[in-house]
Amino acid sequence: MKVRYSYLQQQFANPEPIFEGIRELLKTGAFTLGPQVEEFEGKFAKLIGTKHAIGVASGTDALKLPLKALGVGHGDEVITAANTFIATAGAINEIGAVCKFIDSTPYYVMDAELLEKAVTKKTKAIMPVHFTGEPVEMDQVMYVAKKFGLPIVEDACQSILCNYKGTNCGTFGAAGGFSLHPLKNLNVWSDGGVIVTNDSELDAKLRLLRNHGLKNRDEISVFGYNSRLDSIQAIVGNWLIPQTVDITNKRRDNAAYYDAAFSKMDGFVELAPRRPHVKQCYHLYMFEVAEKQRDSLLKFLVDSGIEAKVHYPIPLYQQEGLRHLGYKAGDFPVTDRQAKRIVSLPVDQHLSRKEQDYCIQKVQEFFAGHSREAKH
Amino acid sequence: MQVPYVNFSKQFQETREETLKAVVAVMERGDFILGKEVQEFEAAFAKMVGTKYAIGVANGTDSLIMCMKALGIEPGDEVITTPNSWISSASSIALIGARPVFVDVADDQNIDVSLIEAAITDKTQCIMPVHLTGRSSRMPEILEIAQRRKIPVLEDAAQSVGAITGGIKAGKGGLFSSFSLHPLKNLNAMGDAGIITTDSDEMGMRLRMYRNHGMRNRDEIDFWGYNSRLDTIQAAVLLPRLRQLPDVIEKRRAFAKRYTAGLAGVVECPVEREDEFHTYHVYVIQCDKRDQLQKALAEKGIETKIHYPIPIHLQKCAKDLGHKKGDFPVTERQAGRILSLPINQFLENDQIDFVIQGIREFYSHT
Repeated sequence: MKVRYSYLQQQFANPEPIFEGIRELLKTGAFTLGPQVEEFEGKFAKLIGTKHAIGVASGTDALKLPLKALGVGHGDEVITAANTFIATAGAINEIGAVCKFIDSTPYYVMDAELLEKAVTKKTKAIMPVHFTGEPVEMDQVMYVAKKFGLPIVEDACQSILCNYKGTNCGTFGAAGGFSLHPLKNLNVWSDGGVIVTNDSELDAKLRLLRNHGLKNRDEISVFGYNSRLDSIQAIVGNWLIPQTVDITNKRRDNAAYYDAAFSKMDGFVELAPRRPHVKQCYHLYMFEVAEKQRDSLLKFLVDSGIEAKVHYPIPLYQQEGLRHLGYKAGDFPVTDRQAKRIVSLPVDQHLSRKEQDYCIQKVQEFFAGHSREAKH
Repeated sequence: MQVPYVNFSKQFQETREETLKAVVAVMERGDFILGKEVQEFEAAFAKMVGTKYAIGVANGTDSLIMCMKALGIEPGDEVITTPNSWISSASSIALIGARPVFVDVADDQNIDVSLIEAAITDKTQCIMPVHLTGRSSRMPEILEIAQRRKIPVLEDAAQSVGAITGGIKAGKGGLFSSFSLHPLKNLNAMGDAGIITTDSDEMGMRLRMYRNHGMRNRDEIDFWGYNSRLDTIQAAVLLPRLRQLPDVIEKRRAFAKRYTAGLAGVVECPVEREDEFHTYHVYVIQCDKRDQLQKALAEKGIETKIHYPIPIHLQKCAKDLGHKKGDFPVTERQAGRILSLPINQFLENDQIDFVIQGIREFYSHT
């Protein structure tokens, strides 16, 4: 049996409604910022529950543009998570600011308890990352932000409809950035991103920044970027938006199914604590195993036809490209430990119970010959 | 008679089957990010320009930003360019914290080579000539200065794919060159897209990683990068269009020739020098009573444009650069006199003649 990670072929098995939209688009030629983009922005804002949504070229840009719009720039510090995808740190770096990492919790997102200590005179923004589709403890983030008067830009790239105490991720701070990359829960056929905000002034600034700073065709108010969600991709997004709630529920359901099985494997497999006040959207389903068993488990799963992955094996602060930030091995012990222990299994909405059973069975099979070492 | 400035629906009719086929093929494979057609298009584009490398990116602004980043340009550095361009030439410089140093243009709307040396300081890290309107800048002269002063050249070839000046093809002369493949360009995608060409192994490698988060592979990051990738779908759309590009350019050149013959002595037409191959991304006349002419033509159903009515140094975004009216007299004079006539490849000769007749008529009354 093969259990694939990418489900795009299943997802777009009947692409006719999308092609119909593309045919219409080709007639009008409104390829950049056409009415399809506006429609998508309206629908996305409604889905997440904000006043505004702004379509941009990628999830990276969806983080970069709000920071820029808030006036974060050269030499400023932005506090973010040590365990995240490079795009979070890349967005901060791109505008000339410096990443200040903080360590992880057992549930793979930044430890908000460590936030206050990380604030310095140079801190200009906080960027919590709802990594894997798991919300950061936002009460604590909001408390620190308020205490120091710092804006929050949420990295919600992996967390569409991820929910903390009844509020959707991306809507807590000044702005939230989402990715529409083909592997995301709400995905288009290329790079794509969207920013949400309730602040109308920020919305206006972001619209300028994504389109060269153009006030109109001829007048340019600020130096801006070229970062637009393509109309053709908005067509794909518009088709998917009505399905997003179902997609999220299906992923939660699949995760619960894994949880039920793996929670019986105490000592072999360690699951993150499931906090009752959050609703994950399971962009990724991760669990931990003993460090010395991880790579062999991964190999066993891959050899068994299961496309298991590691998100990510090398923490950002240990990457060659980030060495100049001055961190040293051991600065983020929780992140380090997780990087050596985590495994991701497919959890998408197109995954069948049969495929899940096979994944569970293979994990059980692997551990049949091993000792219980996951806690160490 | 209607003479539209662009005609996407006609382009779609002519390429409908191959366009949809390309999109379906990509969709069925699902390699939406840096997939098969991206590599194919890059190889075909590099071959067309004659460079070792071509790197597909998200748009023609990011391409400029990433090239300058690859050069190590930092806040405080200066980059020489022209003030009559699309905003990206200057904004790409400003966005990385460097200072755009403007040099006025010549009659051909490209950088006035005789003014470049006076603009070079010890902070100058790059010269960015803009190949405006579909004609490349005077590259032989620019390269002579750049080599002597040891300053790298980044060609902003966004509007001039296929152009040649002094035997040098646009995209082949500089250390690297930036192209836009925006829907309005001669070689156009169905959304934002861009591409960089270079012969440098180091820059080719660096840019390939820059556009993809600085990643060496899935797990290792060598340096800070961007997310700026040419979409596979756009590459698939661009591949057949790249093959059609010579025909597109020939058609535009034929219309340009017709305009120039029909408008001689009435307005100033672009003059193509003997060593130039102009691709006429835009056909720009320079004339008196420009705004009235534009209005009169619009009333006849003729759509014209102005590229661009407000020079960059006089835009609000550039106020920190401290320029004032009169700093770049040729650019400013042209801004009030230029008018872009319809020249897309989907027009017919009688439409061109209708435009010519409209312009002649306007000036015969005034």
